[in-house]
Amino acid sequence: MRTLVVLAAAITFGTWGCATRTPDTPVSPPVVATQPVPPPAVKPVTPAPRTASKPATPAAKTPAPTARAPKPAAPRVAVAVPAGPSTLDLNALKERLKATKAIGVMTKISLKNKVDDLMDQFRLYYQGRSKVTMTELRQSYNLLMMKVLSLLQDDDPPLASAIVSSREAIWALLANPTSFATLQS
Amino acid sequence: MNIRKVVLAQSLLVAAFAVPSFAADDEALKKDLTAVIALQGLPCGEVVAVTMQAESDYAVSCKDNNKYRVYMNAEGRVVVEKRK
Repeated sequence: MRTLVVLAAAITFGTWGCATRTPDTPVSPPVVATQPVPPPAVKPVTPAPRTASKPATPAAKTPAPTARAPKPAAPRVAVAVPAGPSTLDLNALKERLKATKAIGVMTKISLKNKVDDLMDQFRLYYQGRSKVTMTELRQSYNLLMMKVLSLLQDDDPPLASAIVSSREAIWALLANPTSFATLQS
Repeated sequence: MNIRKVVLAQSLLVAAFAVPSFAADDEALKKDLTAVIALQGLPCGEVVAVTMQAESDYAVSCKDNNKYRVYMNAEGRVVVEKRK
Protein backbone atom coordinates (compact mmCIF):
# COMPACT_ATOMS: atom_id res chain seq x y z
CA MET A 1 0.00 0.00 0.00
CA ARG A 2 2.74 2.41 0.97
CA THR A 3 4.60 1.70 -2.25
CA LEU A 4 1.45 2.44 -4.19
CA VAL A 5 1.14 5.87 -2.61
CA VAL A 6 4.79 6.62 -3.27
CA LEU A 7 4.40 5.54 -6.88
CA ALA A 8 1.40 7.76 -7.34
CA ALA A 9 3.30 10.67 -5.88
CA ALA A 10 6.22 10.05 -8.17
CA ILE A 11 3.95 10.15 -11.17
CA THR A 12 2.36 13.39 -10.07
CA PHE A 13 5.75 14.97 -9.50
CA GLY A 14 6.88 13.84 -12.91
CA THR A 15 3.97 15.23 -14.84
CA TRP A 16 3.85 18.50 -12.91
CA GLY A 17 7.49 18.99 -13.56
CA CYS A 18 6.83 18.67 -17.26
CA ALA A 19 3.81 20.89 -17.09
CA THR A 20 5.72 23.73 -15.50
CA ARG A 21 8.48 23.54 -18.01
CA THR A 22 6.46 23.76 -21.17
CA PRO A 23 5.23 27.34 -20.93
CA ASP A 24 8.60 28.99 -20.70
CA THR A 25 9.17 29.87 -24.29
CA PRO A 26 10.45 33.40 -23.97
CA VAL A 27 10.30 34.24 -27.63
CA SER A 28 11.40 37.60 -28.56
CA PRO A 29 13.29 37.37 -31.84
CA PRO A 30 10.55 36.81 -34.40
CA VAL A 31 8.35 39.29 -32.67
CA VAL A 32 9.81 42.54 -33.80
CA ALA A 33 9.01 41.94 -37.40
CA THR A 34 5.32 41.50 -36.75
CA GLN A 35 4.47 44.95 -35.51
CA PRO A 36 4.94 47.60 -38.04
CA VAL A 37 1.76 49.59 -38.16
CA PRO A 38 0.81 52.75 -36.41
CA PRO A 39 -1.64 54.09 -39.01
CA PRO A 40 -4.97 53.38 -37.27
CA ALA A 41 -4.32 56.18 -34.82
CA VAL A 42 -3.78 58.66 -37.61
CA LYS A 43 -6.76 57.67 -39.71
CA PRO A 44 -9.63 58.97 -37.62
CA VAL A 45 -8.20 62.45 -37.67
CA THR A 46 -8.55 63.18 -41.35
CA PRO A 47 -11.76 62.44 -43.13
CA ALA A 48 -14.98 63.64 -41.58
CA PRO A 49 -14.80 67.41 -41.07
CA ARG A 50 -13.08 68.29 -44.33
CA THR A 51 -15.42 66.57 -46.70
CA ALA A 52 -18.42 67.95 -44.92
CA SER A 53 -17.35 71.56 -45.09
CA LYS A 54 -15.48 71.73 -48.40
CA PRO A 55 -16.78 69.61 -51.16
CA ALA A 56 -14.99 71.27 -54.07
CA THR A 57 -11.36 71.77 -53.13
CA PRO A 58 -9.21 69.42 -55.14
CA ALA A 59 -5.90 70.68 -53.76
CA ALA A 60 -6.79 69.93 -50.17
CA LYS A 61 -7.67 66.33 -50.83
CA THR A 62 -4.35 64.59 -50.75
CA PRO A 63 -1.83 65.95 -48.27
CA ALA A 64 -1.72 67.51 -44.81
CA PRO A 65 -4.63 66.63 -42.57
CA THR A 66 -4.81 68.85 -39.53
CA ALA A 67 -3.30 72.11 -40.68
CA ARG A 68 -5.88 72.91 -43.32
CA ALA A 69 -8.96 71.72 -41.56
CA PRO A 70 -9.55 74.78 -39.38
CA LYS A 71 -9.98 77.20 -42.30
CA PRO A 72 -13.45 76.60 -43.60
CA ALA A 73 -16.19 76.16 -41.09
CA ALA A 74 -15.63 74.27 -37.90
CA PRO A 75 -12.34 74.94 -36.16
CA ARG A 76 -13.63 73.40 -32.95
CA VAL A 77 -13.91 69.96 -34.44
CA ALA A 78 -10.53 70.21 -36.04
CA VAL A 79 -8.87 71.09 -32.76
CA ALA A 80 -10.63 68.46 -30.75
CA VAL A 81 -9.85 65.51 -32.96
CA PRO A 82 -6.06 65.42 -33.15
CA ALA A 83 -5.57 65.82 -29.42
CA GLY A 84 -7.12 62.50 -28.52
CA PRO A 85 -8.01 59.78 -30.95
CA SER A 86 -10.46 57.38 -29.42
CA THR A 87 -7.76 54.76 -28.91
CA LEU A 88 -5.84 56.73 -26.32
CA ASP A 89 -6.62 56.52 -22.66
CA LEU A 90 -3.30 57.12 -21.05
CA ASN A 91 -4.34 56.37 -17.50
CA ALA A 92 -6.05 53.15 -18.48
CA LEU A 93 -2.98 52.05 -20.37
CA LYS A 94 -0.84 52.86 -17.36
CA GLU A 95 -3.06 50.80 -15.12
CA ARG A 96 -3.10 47.90 -17.55
CA LEU A 97 0.67 47.97 -17.76
CA LYS A 98 0.91 47.93 -13.99
CA ALA A 99 -1.52 45.08 -13.74
CA THR A 100 -0.35 42.83 -16.55
CA LYS A 101 1.23 39.55 -15.62
CA ALA A 102 3.10 39.35 -18.90
CA ILE A 103 5.91 41.42 -17.41
CA GLY A 104 7.70 40.71 -14.14
CA VAL A 105 8.17 43.27 -11.39
CA MET A 106 11.84 43.96 -12.05
CA THR A 107 11.13 44.38 -15.76
CA LYS A 108 8.32 46.81 -15.00
CA ILE A 109 10.60 48.90 -12.81
CA SER A 110 13.30 48.78 -15.45
CA LEU A 111 10.83 49.91 -18.10
CA LYS A 112 9.64 52.72 -15.87
CA ASN A 113 13.26 53.84 -15.48
CA LYS A 114 13.53 53.98 -19.25
CA VAL A 115 10.29 55.93 -19.62
CA ASP A 116 11.50 58.41 -16.99
CA ASP A 117 14.80 58.79 -18.84
CA LEU A 118 12.98 59.54 -22.07
CA MET A 119 10.74 62.07 -20.33
CA ASP A 120 13.88 63.76 -18.95
CA GLN A 121 15.29 63.95 -22.45
CA PHE A 122 12.10 65.64 -23.66
CA ARG A 123 12.15 68.04 -20.73
CA LEU A 124 15.73 69.06 -21.47
CA TYR A 125 14.88 69.39 -25.15
CA TYR A 126 12.00 71.76 -24.48
CA GLN A 127 14.13 73.73 -22.05
CA GLY A 128 16.71 74.15 -24.81
CA ARG A 129 19.35 72.41 -22.71
CA SER A 130 19.76 69.36 -24.90
CA LYS A 131 21.74 68.60 -28.02
CA VAL A 132 19.36 65.83 -28.94
CA THR A 133 17.12 66.46 -31.95
CA MET A 134 13.44 65.67 -32.23
CA THR A 135 14.31 62.95 -34.74
CA GLU A 136 16.57 61.29 -32.20
CA LEU A 137 13.86 61.56 -29.58
CA ARG A 138 11.49 59.87 -31.97
CA GLN A 139 13.99 57.08 -32.49
CA SER A 140 14.35 56.59 -28.75
CA TYR A 141 10.59 56.57 -28.41
CA ASN A 142 10.21 53.98 -31.17
CA LEU A 143 12.87 51.80 -29.63
CA LEU A 144 11.23 51.91 -26.23
CA MET A 145 7.87 51.08 -27.77
CA MET A 146 9.40 48.10 -29.54
CA LYS A 147 10.83 46.87 -26.25
CA VAL A 148 7.51 47.19 -24.50
CA LEU A 149 5.67 45.48 -27.32
CA SER A 150 8.14 42.64 -27.58
CA LEU A 151 7.62 41.99 -23.89
CA LEU A 152 3.85 42.05 -24.16
CA GLN A 153 2.81 40.61 -27.46
CA ASP A 154 3.14 36.95 -26.57
CA ASP A 155 1.57 36.99 -23.14
CA ASP A 156 -0.79 39.95 -23.29
CA PRO A 157 -1.73 40.54 -26.95
CA PRO A 158 -4.75 42.77 -26.20
CA LEU A 159 -2.59 45.20 -24.26
CA ALA A 160 0.08 45.06 -26.94
CA SER A 161 -2.40 45.96 -29.64
CA ALA A 162 -3.90 48.70 -27.47
CA ILE A 163 -0.44 50.20 -27.18
CA VAL A 164 0.22 49.83 -30.90
CA SER A 165 -2.95 51.71 -31.73
CA SER A 166 -2.15 54.43 -29.19
CA ARG A 167 1.41 54.78 -30.31
CA GLU A 168 1.00 57.81 -32.58
CA ALA A 169 -1.35 59.51 -30.18
CA ILE A 170 1.15 59.19 -27.35
CA TRP A 171 3.86 60.53 -29.61
CA ALA A 172 1.64 63.48 -30.49
CA LEU A 173 1.37 64.29 -26.79
CA LEU A 174 5.12 64.09 -26.30
CA ALA A 175 6.04 66.01 -29.42
CA ASN A 176 3.92 68.99 -28.52
CA PRO A 177 5.47 71.19 -25.79
CA THR A 178 2.09 72.26 -24.47
CA SER A 179 0.64 68.80 -24.10
CA PHE A 180 3.97 67.57 -22.76
CA ALA A 181 3.79 70.21 -20.05
CA THR A 182 0.34 69.00 -19.05
CA LEU A 183 1.68 65.45 -18.86
CA GLN A 184 4.27 66.62 -16.40
CA SER A 185 1.85 68.27 -14.04
CA MET B 1 -0.81 2.34 11.14
CA ASN B 2 -3.80 3.80 9.39
CA ILE B 3 -3.09 7.21 10.80
CA ARG B 4 0.48 6.96 9.58
CA LYS B 5 -0.74 6.22 6.07
CA VAL B 6 -3.14 9.13 6.12
CA VAL B 7 -0.44 11.51 7.33
CA LEU B 8 1.94 10.27 4.64
CA ALA B 9 -0.68 10.67 1.94
CA GLN B 10 -1.53 14.18 3.15
CA SER B 11 2.07 15.31 3.21
CA LEU B 12 2.64 13.89 -0.26
CA LEU B 13 -0.42 15.72 -1.49
CA VAL B 14 0.77 19.00 0.01
CA ALA B 15 4.21 18.50 -1.51
CA ALA B 16 2.70 17.71 -4.88
CA PHE B 17 0.87 21.05 -4.87
CA ALA B 18 3.67 23.11 -3.34
CA VAL B 19 6.63 22.06 -5.47
CA PRO B 20 5.21 22.98 -8.88
CA SER B 21 4.18 26.42 -7.67
CA PHE B 22 7.72 27.07 -6.40
CA ALA B 23 9.04 25.88 -9.73
CA ALA B 24 6.66 28.17 -11.58
CA ASP B 25 7.73 31.14 -9.43
CA ASP B 26 11.33 30.31 -10.13
CA GLU B 27 10.71 30.19 -13.86
CA ALA B 28 8.84 33.48 -13.74
CA LEU B 29 11.72 35.11 -11.89
CA LYS B 30 14.23 33.80 -14.42
CA LYS B 31 12.10 35.12 -17.24
CA ASP B 32 11.77 38.47 -15.49
CA LEU B 33 15.51 38.79 -14.97
CA THR B 34 16.21 37.67 -18.54
CA ALA B 35 14.01 40.52 -19.75
CA VAL B 36 15.72 43.03 -17.43
CA ILE B 37 19.17 42.08 -18.71
CA ALA B 38 17.98 42.22 -22.31
CA LEU B 39 16.45 45.66 -21.71
CA GLN B 40 19.87 46.90 -20.63
CA GLY B 41 21.27 45.58 -23.89
CA LEU B 42 23.57 43.09 -22.19
CA PRO B 43 24.32 39.60 -23.48
CA CYS B 44 22.79 36.70 -21.64
CA GLY B 45 20.56 34.58 -23.80
CA GLU B 46 18.58 33.19 -20.95
CA VAL B 47 18.91 33.17 -17.18
CA VAL B 48 19.58 29.63 -16.00
CA ALA B 49 20.27 30.16 -12.30
CA VAL B 50 19.28 32.78 -9.75
CA THR B 51 20.38 33.31 -6.18
CA MET B 52 18.58 35.86 -4.10
CA GLN B 53 21.10 37.89 -2.10
CA ALA B 54 18.69 40.33 -0.53
CA GLU B 55 15.31 41.78 -1.37
CA SER B 56 15.39 42.89 -5.02
CA ASP B 57 19.02 41.81 -5.29
CA TYR B 58 19.88 38.77 -7.37
CA ALA B 59 23.00 36.96 -8.51
CA VAL B 60 22.28 35.62 -11.93
CA SER B 61 23.96 33.10 -14.23
CA CYS B 62 23.18 33.09 -17.93
CA LYS B 63 23.11 30.36 -20.51
CA ASP B 64 26.05 31.96 -22.32
CA ASN B 65 28.08 31.84 -19.05
CA ASN B 66 27.79 35.54 -18.32
CA LYS B 67 27.10 36.35 -14.70
CA TYR B 68 25.36 39.46 -13.41
CA ARG B 69 24.13 41.09 -10.28
CA VAL B 70 20.68 42.55 -10.80
CA TYR B 71 19.43 44.83 -8.08
CA MET B 72 17.42 47.92 -7.31
CA ASN B 73 19.47 50.83 -6.03
CA ALA B 74 18.48 53.47 -3.52
CA GLU B 75 17.04 55.71 -6.26
CA GLY B 76 14.70 52.98 -7.38
CA ARG B 77 16.62 52.16 -10.54
CA VAL B 78 17.19 48.61 -11.64
CA VAL B 79 20.92 48.10 -12.11
CA VAL B 80 22.66 45.23 -13.90
CA GLU B 81 26.31 44.74 -13.02
CA LYS B 82 28.62 42.23 -14.57
CA ARG B 83 30.14 39.72 -12.14
CA LYS B 84 33.25 37.65 -12.59
